[in-house]
Parts: sequence; structure tokens; C-alpha cells
Amino acid sequence: MKTMISYGVAVLALAAGIGGAQALTLDEVKSAGYIQAATANEVPYGYMKEDGTAAGIGPDVAIAVLKRMGVNEVNWTVTPFGTLIPGLKARRFAFAAAEQNISPERCKQVAFTEPNSSYGEGLLVKKGNPKKLTTYADIAKDPSLKVAVVSGANNIDFLRAVGVKDDQIVIIQANADAPATVQSRVDAYAATELTVSKLAEGSEAVEQVRPFTDPIVDGKPVRNYGGFAFRLEDKELHDAFNKALVEFRKTEDYQKILTSYGLSAESIKAAAAKNVADLCAGK
Amino acid sequence: MMYGYAWDTSTPLTFALSILPILGIGLLVTLQAAAVGYAIALVLGLVLALLRRSKIKIISWTVAGFTEFVRDTPLLVQLFFLYYVLPDFGIILPAFMTGALALGLQYSAYTSEVYRAGIDAVPRGQWEAATALNLTRRQTYRDIVVPQMIPRIVPALGNYLVSMLKETPVLSVVTVLDMLGLANMIGERTFEYLVPLSMVGLIFLPMTLICSALIFLVERALPKSGIPLR
Amino acid sequence: MTWTQYLAPLLKGAQVTVMISLASITIGALLAFAAGIARTSSNRIISGIAFVYIVLFRGTPLLVQLFWFYYALPLIGVSFDPITTGIMTLSLLTGAFGAEVVRGALLAVPPTQLEAARALNFSKTYTLWHISMPQAIIEMMPSFGNLAIQNLKDTALVSLISIADLTFQAQSMRNITLDSATVYTLTLLGYFIIALCLMLIVRFIEMKLRRGPAFPRSAHS
Repeated sequence: MKTMISYGVAVLALAAGIGGAQALTLDEVKSAGYIQAATANEVPYGYMKEDGTAAGIGPDVAIAVLKRMGVNEVNWTVTPFGTLIPGLKARRFAFAAAEQNISPERCKQVAFTEPNSSYGEGLLVKKGNPKKLTTYADIAKDPSLKVAVVSGANNIDFLRAVGVKDDQIVIIQANADAPATVQSRVDAYAATELTVSKLAEGSEAVEQVRPFTDPIVDGKPVRNYGGFAFRLEDKELHDAFNKALVEFRKTEDYQKILTSYGLSAESIKAAAAKNVADLCAGK
Repeated sequence: MMYGYAWDTSTPLTFALSILPILGIGLLVTLQAAAVGYAIALVLGLVLALLRRSKIKIISWTVAGFTEFVRDTPLLVQLFFLYYVLPDFGIILPAFMTGALALGLQYSAYTSEVYRAGIDAVPRGQWEAATALNLTRRQTYRDIVVPQMIPRIVPALGNYLVSMLKETPVLSVVTVLDMLGLANMIGERTFEYLVPLSMVGLIFLPMTLICSALIFLVERALPKSGIPLR
Repeated sequence: MTWTQYLAPLLKGAQVTVMISLASITIGALLAFAAGIARTSSNRIISGIAFVYIVLFRGTPLLVQLFWFYYALPLIGVSFDPITTGIMTLSLLTGAFGAEVVRGALLAVPPTQLEAARALNFSKTYTLWHISMPQAIIEMMPSFGNLAIQNLKDTALVSLISIADLTFQAQSMRNITLDSATVYTLTLLGYFIIALCLMLIVRFIEMKLRRGPAFPRSAHS
């Protein structure tokens, strides 16, 4: 009964808020006492633990940064990766913390912060790597091979860039479906190196391809840079978070969080070396 | 760019027209899935209906329970069940077949009820006359019962075909690239959902209306007294 | 994790499912009466609007409607939270199907009743609510029962717009435990049990209506 009443109130409040697309400011967040955030279920970048709290590279850093800004409570929603940007634009949450790759197309839709992490690509295959794959281009060489990607992820762009055909690509809704899909319906799953290594951890049926060569796109090996995404119109909130993030990156706690999830010291340095303006311009 | 067709997001109209070929490919998948699913539903439903009339109580009760269970549980969960559980038992069907099978299974529960009602609607006198004339069970069904049953069950069966067409988008959840799956993919790549999703709705609307109209015509064309099967 | 540990999260999801189902059945019933009566109205505009609404929602798939309200509508500035979107879409769908049931039942009231009402100088509104409706409602109940079950099954789709209903929880559990068979079997049983309860409620309402004072047949027996 209480939930019904609270939903009723929420509906009325929302109805009152339609049409008034005002930007969310830091003061509003502070007076509300909490901020609404989203992540996709992808270990280790951002995921929901069994007890309902969020963890991962994105959430852990976000929580620390927000504390420095004076926001102590973060409400997490888990939403499919492909719906992070649409959901953000639809005002369902204030920012996305899933370490999405900062790409020129995405920069047109949302405002990214400075990069938080950097990572390469990877392939998940059946145990023993029966098709002997070492890079994305190997899939293009054999048109009978099938590869899966998560809906909304930009691995599909890299696959296409190295020649994989559309009918070889299977789109799955969630990262967690990948091991089952690789076991029975596709030959490989294309995702970031860390995602793949976490999925392969302790599995009898699937493994990470090692050694793996990053796909070459536009003459250079692909490197992804993950960041937090805010709405374009929430400039003040975005700038405040960005400033606090850049400060936080200089601390030891930041290093500790990233290395605890498996990122190497080089990848952390690489993330700090790039800035978001260049990445959005495609450099 | 998808399946070789590039889209043009400059205006909503050019966007809509440029994704039409892509959605057309999805439409084919939708129609195929519905066709296969419907075929499964028609056959499986008949089997279930006949088993339900069995004199052996255990068979008829089990079938009754199973049919009711399938009727009252969501297609989505049944689909997930087939998609994830079958491989665990070594049965690896392609996603499309899994989807068609799920559709066929859920709708067989409906069609079996239609068949049952149809068989029950044939007047008792017909059964008695058949016995009096010493017709075998097979002859009774083939020449007396089924021909009279068909005109009565066509409306209901036709409605279920239209319903099934409208449930095919659920298959997009298990990687089947039907119209909705493709529209979502286009939406994700362009961040423009309004046009693709509206197009899917606008394609479904006339499709279901035409389908309903066709069924109505078939209904009208059938003779009320029954169709001889020989 | 043993299967008994799946029950708690699934139960939480079942609560959400029941809440959404009851809310959308109720609102859907109201919409059904509104649209069904509108369809029998002699006012062309009202009847036309109801007609468009019914055809639109009966002729397009629920999943497309859900995604449209959830992803497409926000792009023109109108955005509701997931639960509101889910309840709203399901209500509109159930209302559209229910409207046809209401209309059919109203049309099935014997014309002699309507003629007698005219002869007795009852106003159209009085005729509708005191003569036609009581007789029509009994006709509607079995179909409404079916629509209620259909609504329950349709709620499973809201898991695809991030609502933590029974199906959503089942997916979460499956992702964590990879025990598809047990998780989905429990989920299916959960829906089946809720469906049986729904059927009992509908049967109960039907019984109450049959014995109610507005039921005219007892006057003629």
C-alpha cells in the first residue's frame, strides 16, 4: 500500500516536472541529499553486488569523488549497457558510471569527464580456443565464424573496421549472457580485455584469448578510454564532478581502486595522459 | 550502416525512408517466425486436444494441467527457459528456432482449447448417427466431425494468428533480429529512437489489420455446414 | 546457492509484478468502460476517438508500445519513470481490449430492454447505468477474467524496461547462479500461482455480481 502511494506521489511529482527540462545543479543534488547514478552490469567496470550495492572501477571512483563534493548518498540503477545514454538523456539518472569509451559519436550525445581508465580489447572463446583466434581480424578471415557483442558497445565498430560481416555478429543484451552464448551459439565474444578476463576467471568452459593483439583501426591499435557521462545541459554539475575527479586522480586511493580491479600501472598512466577534448575530436 | 543500407538522419522523413529496407529484412524474419510458430501451434494443439479426450485419466489430466500451466505463464519466461535451459541438456537450437518453438508452445495451449471447443460443438446426434452407421473412429473424425469443426474454429484460430504476429517482437530479446531488434539496434547507433520505433508500430498496424481482414474473408467463404475432406 | 535462497529475491519481484498487474488491470478496466461506452455513443467524435485508441493499441505489439513510451517519448521531452511507464502502457493495452468486451456486452443487451426503457421515458444515461450495464457486466466477466490473466503475463515484459519484477529478478538470479532450469521453473510456478489467485478473485467477483440486487433475472423468475 505504501509503495502504491509513494508511486502515486512520484507520478504526480514527475508529471509536474515534465516539460521543464531544467539543468540539474550541484546545489539541487546537495539539498536532495542523494544523486541518482547508473551502471551496466559489467564486471569490473561497474556492477551490482548481491547485497544491492554497486561496485567496480566506475562506481568506486564515483562514490569517492562525490564524497569530496559533499554528496554522500548515491542511488544506483543497473540498466543494459545500450540504454545508458538514452536513459541519461531521458533524465532517469544524473550520470552514468560504466567506463564507457569516450568516442566522438558519444560526445555528441553526452558530456564526458576526463578519462578515468584505459583498456584494450579482448576475446572470450571456448576452452582450448578451438578456432585458434588471436585477434578480431581472424574472425573476418572465416565467414562461417560468429562473434557476439553487447548491445550498445562499440566493439561492434572495431569488428566491422577489420572486416567482420554483419551476419557474423550476434548482439546479446547483457554481458552476463556471454559465457553461455560462447559455449553454445557463437565462436567468440568481443569485449574489453578486463571484461573477458573476469568472465573467464574460474570457468571450465570458456577462456580468454592469450596472446591477443588489439585490432588495428585507422592505422593504430585500438585503445579505449573510459569516462563518466553527464547530460550536455548539466554543465555546472559536470564541471564540478570533473574538477573533483581530476583532483582525486592525483591521490593514492585512486591508484589503489584501479589496481585492485586489475588495471595495470601503465594503463592508469595512459588514461591520465589523454584529455577528453582530444578524445571527442577523435584524436 | 546495416546489411549494406546506410541511413540518413538529416530529417525524420529521410531517416524513416532510409531505414525502410533494413526494417523490411526484419519484417521477413517476423513473418517467418510467426509462420513456423503457427504451424507448430496448429499441430501441437491438435495433439494436445486429442490426448485430452483420452479415456486414460492420467493422460488427460496431465495434458490438462500442462496446457493450463503453459496458458497462464508468460511467453517471455517460457522463451528464456527454452533458450537457456535446452543447451544445458545438449539441445542447441539456433535462436530463431528457439523463438519459433516458444511461440508454438504457448499458442498450442490456446489452439488445443479451440480444437476441444470445436469438437465438443459438433452435435451429439452426429456422433450417434456415425455409431449407428458402423463408421470406424477414423472415418467418423475424417468425414463427419472434422469437416463440421473447421468453419467453427477458423475465427478463433485466425485471431490467434494475429496475436502471434504481435508477440513476435519478444523474440528480439534472445538475439533474433526481427523488426524490433533491428529498430533497437538502429536506435542505439544513432541515439534516435523515435523514428525507428514509430516505424515498427506503423508497419505492424496495417499488417494486423490486413491479416484480420483476410481471416474475416476466409471465414465468410467457408460453407457453414462444413468442408468435405474428400 | 541452494534453490531456497532464490525464493527471497523472486518473492520481491513477485510483489512488484502483482502491484503492477493490479494497478494496470484497475486502470485498464476504467479505460475499458470509458472507451467501450464511448464507442456506443451516437456522438461521432467521441466514438471516433475511442475507435482510434482501440485500433492503435490492439493493432500494435505491446513490446513496441513499451519501448516507444520508454525510449522514444523522452526524446520529445515527455519522460516517466519505468514503473509509471509500465503501468500506463499496460493499462492502455488492457483498456483497448477491454473496450471491445464492454462494447460487445452492451450491444448484447436485448433490444427489448432498451425499447421498454424508452417507453418508460428513462433518460439515455439512466438506461445505460441502470438497465444495460447490470445485464452487460455479467456477460463481460469471463472475458475480463481472460484479460486479467493476459495482463499478468504481459507484465513480464516490463522487466525489459528495467522494472525489478519477477522476470527481472529471475534474470538477475540466473546471471549470478547460472542455474537456468531451477530459476526459470520457480519463476513459471510463481506466475502460475499468481494466475490461479487472479482467477479465484475474478470468479468471486462474478459470483457476487450474480447474486447482486441489480441483477434483473431474479425479477422474472
